Amino acid sequence: MSPPVRVSGIGIARTDGAGAEETAGVARRLSAVLAALSWHGTHGRLVHPIEEMALLAAHDALRRAGVRTPLGGEDIGVALGLEEGIDGIKAQYYRDILRDGPLGASPIVFPLTTPNTIAARISIALDLRGENLTLCAGTLSGAHALGLAMEMLRAGRMPVMLAGGATSVQGEFLDALSVAGGPEGGSPGCGACLFLLRFPASAAIRGEAGRLLGYAQAVGRDDVRAAIQACLQDAELAPAQVGSVHVAAAHESRSLVASLRGLGVGAPVVRSPSAGLHSASFPLAVAEALGQAADGSRGPALVVGSDCLVGAAAAIVHGDE
Amino acid sequence: MTEGVVVTGLGVVSPLNPEGDLERFWASLCAGETGIGEVRSFDTSRYAYHVAAEIRRAHLGLSGATEEPARRMAEVACARALTHAKIAPFAFDPRRAGIVVGTVLGGTGAGEQYLRAERRDRERDATTLAQYPLRGVAALLARQTGCAGCALTVSTACASGTDAIGLAYRRITSGGADLMVAGGVDAICELSFSGFAALKALTADRVRPFSRNRTGLALGEGAAFLVMEPAHAAGRRGASALGEIVGYASRADAVHLTAPHREGRGLAAAATAALRDGGCRPNAIDYVSAHGTGTPYNDAMETIALKTVLGEHAHRVAISSIKGALGHAFGAAGAIEAVTCLLAMRDGIVPPTINLEEPDPACDLDFVPNRARRTTVRVALSLSAGFGGQNAALAMRARAA
Repeated sequence: MSPPVRVSGIGIARTDGAGAEETAGVARRLSAVLAALSWHGTHGRLVHPIEEMALLAAHDALRRAGVRTPLGGEDIGVALGLEEGIDGIKAQYYRDILRDGPLGASPIVFPLTTPNTIAARISIALDLRGENLTLCAGTLSGAHALGLAMEMLRAGRMPVMLAGGATSVQGEFLDALSVAGGPEGGSPGCGACLFLLRFPASAAIRGEAGRLLGYAQAVGRDDVRAAIQACLQDAELAPAQVGSVHVAAAHESRSLVASLRGLGVGAPVVRSPSAGLHSASFPLAVAEALGQAADGSRGPALVVGSDCLVGAAAAIVHGDE
Repeated sequence: MTEGVVVTGLGVVSPLNPEGDLERFWASLCAGETGIGEVRSFDTSRYAYHVAAEIRRAHLGLSGATEEPARRMAEVACARALTHAKIAPFAFDPRRAGIVVGTVLGGTGAGEQYLRAERRDRERDATTLAQYPLRGVAALLARQTGCAGCALTVSTACASGTDAIGLAYRRITSGGADLMVAGGVDAICELSFSGFAALKALTADRVRPFSRNRTGLALGEGAAFLVMEPAHAAGRRGASALGEIVGYASRADAVHLTAPHREGRGLAAAATAALRDGGCRPNAIDYVSAHGTGTPYNDAMETIALKTVLGEHAHRVAISSIKGALGHAFGAAGAIEAVTCLLAMRDGIVPPTINLEEPDPACDLDFVPNRARRTTVRVALSLSAGFGGQNAALAMRARAA
């Protein structure tokens, strides 16, 4: 059995469905973080809420694990899942060109039309010089990032990884895509959820928020069933040992429940309330599962997600008692 | 030590070989030809720049404007790579096979089309957007090939193609797959052209990597895919290996969103880590495929990074950039350059850095100027760098005869 990957810190920042007070709280936290990082604008200014949410979540995950930033070393890598979060930026950028010609092309906004800019922003602000990878998989973006981080940690390629997902869900493109058979519209809003993960043998980092025991993904026919089955194998867990199932998808499908029961997973199934936050939805469901599993009464939790284009993913997590 | 990962198939679609003929690509590249010319796929009359390395849409079999060219390029390159490896789609254990695609733009052209219709107050065709998502190419290739273990899309700016190959290599070494098809793709669109124009990073005429009179990059487009397998699996089915991927690493500059670290800190770190991963001594490197965009900052920092990594050997190794021929194909660039390294090993010839007209004291290494060179290549290093301070490096080794 592969030793579990430890979750040393969790950072969550979101504005979906938030009231004025909560939004003001996020703004205050961000302001404090930027001040603490001595952000003098030399690295450019943050121009979109997705940058703010991702940076805040990253900073919180590191802080909770006792990591002081800026770091200034190669020991922490970043794996960020993000896809639709930049669609609104791209659409507005191109609309400006259509309206104003080349003069409409903003050199400040242009870098934000590529997905990796958000992970780059994190690396610059916190001075993280390790691996830096952005994975795009729609609603599974965060899942793919977590899976990649686990693979890298287990293989000893990085001792510590900051991994998760970020999004800014904007109605227009997603609504059109859903007409075209693409992803369903999500909750309007912005959010990020990042974990500081470490392999047990790695350098001392404090903070224990739980363990990731297994992960797997699959594409094509029977993808959900295949991902769950492979994930259970990866965690060396019997189906009956699963204490709860958390679904990171907008709708809890009957076929998912049938797959679970067919595999012998009889645990109660709950739909994550964060399922509308696309690229961040899987990490948020993992955070919810870790929180619920922390009371120790249920045992390991299975988190399952799927995407209309790139299949399904599953993770087994366990909260620390 | 993990088992070797061999490359058994290559597929490339570029402005030099729009139909995907690998040998034509290689012959044209080594002959010093260029695919850079006037932009035809959209109107550049309002811009100060007018050149790019494009593939004519008709060569891709695209007659109308509705099909996103990146998808077609990827389809052709992926199919060619599998054919080259003598592997039929679906003729393998699907759950042990995966796809990794590096792309920066995905189907951005489809998004542009949608927004142009909106601007003209015409009915917007939502079905156009089905081609828009970045992960769409990986999903398409997974469906077409039968690879059902994973369909990953990595987007790390101009390092995307290199990172895609690196992640696939790692998946095999970690025991997670027996077959991976990995590479990159991107197609030119107005969004990227306008952005690089606004940043004044484009050249008005030719791309001159490492030349003192270099003026900037030209956009390019294309796709390249590699078929990768564990050495024992390739050997069992009697496949011939074109070479071995032995090391990979990615590192962040952590400095600036659009400019590289002036001394190539991240690129040097990535190259050093990739060589360490592959157990390669720096002085064993015979060839470096440089990122070499032809911009003042990139080429100067890359020269410093190479000196940092290779020491005195940096002055002895053959280094070339193929962006004078192909422009900068973003997500495809690193994958095309990995193919170049493998073909250099196969044939004992390294392609030239074309348009290297005036030696630059800040770029004082052997950049194989203007003419291809015959030389034995046993170990090659391919470097990529991109916006956001992305850096990636791949180390490759020739298979013993």
